[in-house]
Amino acid sequence: MEEIIQHLTPLLKEISGYIYPNEIELHWSLLVVIYPYLTGLVAGAFILASLVKVFNVEALRPVYRIALLTALAFMLVAPLSLLAHLGHPDRSFEIFLTPNVTSAMAMFGFVYLWYLMAVLFLEIWFDYRRDFIKWGQEGKGLKKWFYKFLSLFSKDVSPKALAFDDKAERVITILGIPSAFLLHGYVGFIFGSVKANPFWSSVLMPIVFLFSAIVSGIALVLLIYMIITPFRYKQIDEKCLDTLASFLFYAMIIDFSLEILDFIHRIYESEESIHILSQLVAGKLFFSLIIVQLIIGMIIPLATIAAVKAFNTPAELKRLLYFLSALLVQVGIFFTRWNVVIGGQLFSKSFRGLTAYKMTFLGIEGLLMSIGMLVLPFLILYVLFKLLPPWKDAPPAAEIPAEAT
Amino acid sequence: MKLPWRNFPEQIRRLIVVWSFLIILPFFIRSLLIPADFGKYGHFRASAVEEAIAKEMKYAGHAICYDCHDEEVESKMVGVHKNVNCEVCHGPAAAHVEDDEIKPRAPRERDSCPLCHEYLSSRPTGFPQIISDSHEPMKACISCHDPHNPRGKEMAKECGGCHAEIASTKSLSKHVNIPCEKCHETPELHKLQPRLHLPGKPSKREFCGGCHDVEADSDIAIPRVELATHEEAYVCWQCHYPHLPEAE
Ligand code: HEC
Ligand code: HEC
Ligand code: HEC
Ligand code: HEC
Ligand code: HEC
Ligand code: HEC
Ligand code: HEC
Ligand code: HEC
Repeated sequence: MEEIIQHLTPLLKEISGYIYPNEIELHWSLLVVIYPYLTGLVAGAFILASLVKVFNVEALRPVYRIALLTALAFMLVAPLSLLAHLGHPDRSFEIFLTPNVTSAMAMFGFVYLWYLMAVLFLEIWFDYRRDFIKWGQEGKGLKKWFYKFLSLFSKDVSPKALAFDDKAERVITILGIPSAFLLHGYVGFIFGSVKANPFWSSVLMPIVFLFSAIVSGIALVLLIYMIITPFRYKQIDEKCLDTLASFLFYAMIIDFSLEILDFIHRIYESEESIHILSQLVAGKLFFSLIIVQLIIGMIIPLATIAAVKAFNTPAELKRLLYFLSALLVQVGIFFTRWNVVIGGQLFSKSFRGLTAYKMTFLGIEGLLMSIGMLVLPFLILYVLFKLLPPWKDAPPAAEIPAEAT
Repeated sequence: MKLPWRNFPEQIRRLIVVWSFLIILPFFIRSLLIPADFGKYGHFRASAVEEAIAKEMKYAGHAICYDCHDEEVESKMVGVHKNVNCEVCHGPAAAHVEDDEIKPRAPRERDSCPLCHEYLSSRPTGFPQIISDSHEPMKACISCHDPHNPRGKEMAKECGGCHAEIASTKSLSKHVNIPCEKCHETPELHKLQPRLHLPGKPSKREFCGGCHDVEADSDIAIPRVELATHEEAYVCWQCHYPHLPEAE
């Protein structure tokens, strides 16, 4: 009782216009912003990895494994934010026991499972199998058995077997691309199929989600690569970095065009919701949408990368600019999710009023929890990097000995 | 018939073993975990209905309150809150009915009433609403309205009905709890023929000194000044507006 009163009464004063009583409080909170953000990073990182395997972009080989492990680390955390939001994590497995086939959200559990088990785990397994065997032979005690177990006690390292690994990886990746599209397209679908909400309901939603996912995934891997390499006293592979930046740039161009397309489409269609949406964008979302998402998260990084490519920028400066751009892109994509999830709930279905979102700090839906959710994947990634060092087999060309730097 | 098992690459053989295990195991677990009565009536456990029925009741309903609180019930029955259930304000009271040591909460704070009465355009036309920021913001609602039988419009506005600006200024000031009559001796007829029966106004410094002098016998929370030396050449309201006194 008290909590409800203390939560709702201050909100009543933030309301403007005509709003139905059950719309005063937002039901999808910050954790639901985190969720598509994290799954987007998974899909994006995986698609980046697939560039190496399927499209043979050799320049990106140094980040291939980093991208895979990043996808895995974020994949493991993404559903936690949903579980925390829904409550009763102890019952979550029941959607697998007695699936409700008419619920998009329930069936999504299977897409998720498929992606984790059949795509990510398998691809990583095939890629690391030779190393597992090697580490299993070199290691001692517990470590030895750990790697032996991971390799499923496989021993065959004949060229034929290795060639088979490679082929298998390629097949999985080819299957994995539509799966990754499905994974994040599905998140967009869940929003896009809410007929009653004109801010969400759009067939473009899954595609816009997908491309913003690719953008965020590439930017994340770029950041991780740039942070981690100096810590290993290694030189950053310029070619790889340039290629990453190029792909980031292309993905951003597509993402940007799609968003503009969506925008023009809405304005041209001018459905009855257009007035409240423009009020929303010009008011409560002005900062997070126009300033952060559009200008800081999109136009500035696009212009920066374009400028770096157009002019002959010195390596040091180039690296700094790439790094800053990728960082801004991350912030921008986070706010893209914020604007969709929170923004889409700020206006009344009467199209005549706006409410407000009051973030809590503590508590299961609070800011602290969300920060935890964003930090956790990096901790997992750190452990993964320790257990499955992704750089052992990087081509020597990329590795200039520490003394040389 | 024999599978060409040996012809598969080694890693595939191992994966097949693990994967068949991973695929069959959930089916096995599933058959163990799905309750027998699942799906009897629909996509749920049939026994869930009984479990829901067996849940402890939290609300007692308003009829039973009459047994012990006839005063509140009777006053509510005749008022505008007659359709507002006791437990809407006091919270679930089933436990209290069993054991009156467990007291329900009485929502005395200001923020509980605006949940229903704060201005909101989607409330039904004519529903009594206020803007709590400007409706007597310094006082608890129940200091003027009886929660069980509140009166609204027909409540005499008293002095504020005609001196609205002064009243609303005072309602925000440190003097909010001093009634107008304490400083203005008001003939009853002033409310009917105001210009013919003017109320009194304080005329001496000593009047304010009655509360604010260091010697004064008044509440210890009241800030004090030395009446004899504090700007002794002037009357107090030349500097302090009495309806909104400030000391900065
Ligand atoms: C069996 C008798 C009985 C019934 C039935 C009963 N109460 Fe009470 N109630 C009491 C007693 C005794 C007190 C304590 C009075 C006191 O301390 O002065 C009390 C106190 C209260 C208080 C005051 C709490 C406070 O902080 O001052 C509230 C509110 C209240 N009851 C609400 C209810 C409501 C609502 C119902 C109906 C659902 C209800 N009661 C039914 C006996 C009862
Ligand atoms: C609109 C909200 C509201 C409703 C409805 C309501 N109450 Fe109350 N009740 C209050 C508030 C506020 C107080 C505290 C009053 C006070 O301290 O002066 C209170 C106080 C009480 C008390 C304690 C009286 C005291 O002097 O300590 C009892 C007993 C009580 N209510 C019983 C009931 C019963 C029984 C009903 C249903 C018939 C009911 N109330 C309905 C708001 C409500
Ligand atoms: C659960 C909702 C609810 C709560 C909580 C509530 N009220 Fe009411 N209130 C009503 C309803 C319903 C009416 C009657 C409206 C009508 O006449 O159409 C009403 C009427 C009133 C009126 C107007 C009386 C008139 O004659 O115009 C006043 C004053 C009032 N309530 C004060 C309070 C106070 C003070 C509280 C807090 C102790 C409170 N209410 C809590 C629902 C509520
Ligand atoms: C200082 C006394 C005082 C306090 C405190 C007070 N009110 Fe009132 N209230 C009045 C008077 C006098 C009226 C009738 C005149 C008017 O409409 O302003 C009134 C009217 C109302 C009305 C009816 C409005 C209408 O248009 O019918 C409601 C509802 C109401 N008050 C609720 C509250 C609530 C809720 C609180 C606490 C947040 C509160 N009041 C605090 C004195 C007070
Ligand atoms: C019916 C409306 C009405 C009501 C109710 C009313 N007043 Fe007045 N009051 C007036 C008018 C009219 C004047 C004269 C204003 C003037 O002559 O400029 C006045 C003048 C005053 C003055 C100024 C006297 C002076 O010498 O300048 C005071 C003090 C005063 N009222 C206090 C009160 C107090 C205290 C109350 C509540 C107990 C109250 N009034 C209620 C209408 C009202
Ligand atoms: C702390 C004492 C105090 C209280 C309480 C108080 N007044 Fe006054 N009021 C004064 C003094 C002192 C004056 C004389 C100011 C002057 O002469 O400049 C005054 C003057 C007035 C006047 C004359 C017009 C003016 O603004 O100078 C009116 C009308 C008035 N008061 C109404 C009210 C009403 C209505 C209330 C209650 C809502 C009220 N007062 C409460 C001390 C008080
Ligand atoms: C009935 C006692 C009483 C009378 C008479 C009275 N006051 Fe006050 N005064 C108070 C109280 C109570 C406070 C607020 C104390 C607090 O909560 O800080 C106060 C506060 C003040 C303050 C400090 C305000 C601040 O911002 O700290 C001033 C100045 C003041 N009064 C001036 C006056 C003047 C001038 C008069 C004469 C017209 C007067 N008072 C008459 C009780 C009184
Ligand atoms: C010439 C202007 C003036 C006059 C007349 C005046 N005051 Fe003040 N008063 C002030 C100022 C300025 C302050 C704030 C600085 C201070 O604390 O000395 C103040 C502060 C106060 C305080 C707050 C003291 C505290 O500790 O917070 C009170 C109470 C007060 N005055 C009451 C009175 C009373 C009662 C009278 C009439 C007997 C009066 N004043 C006359 C100017 C005046």
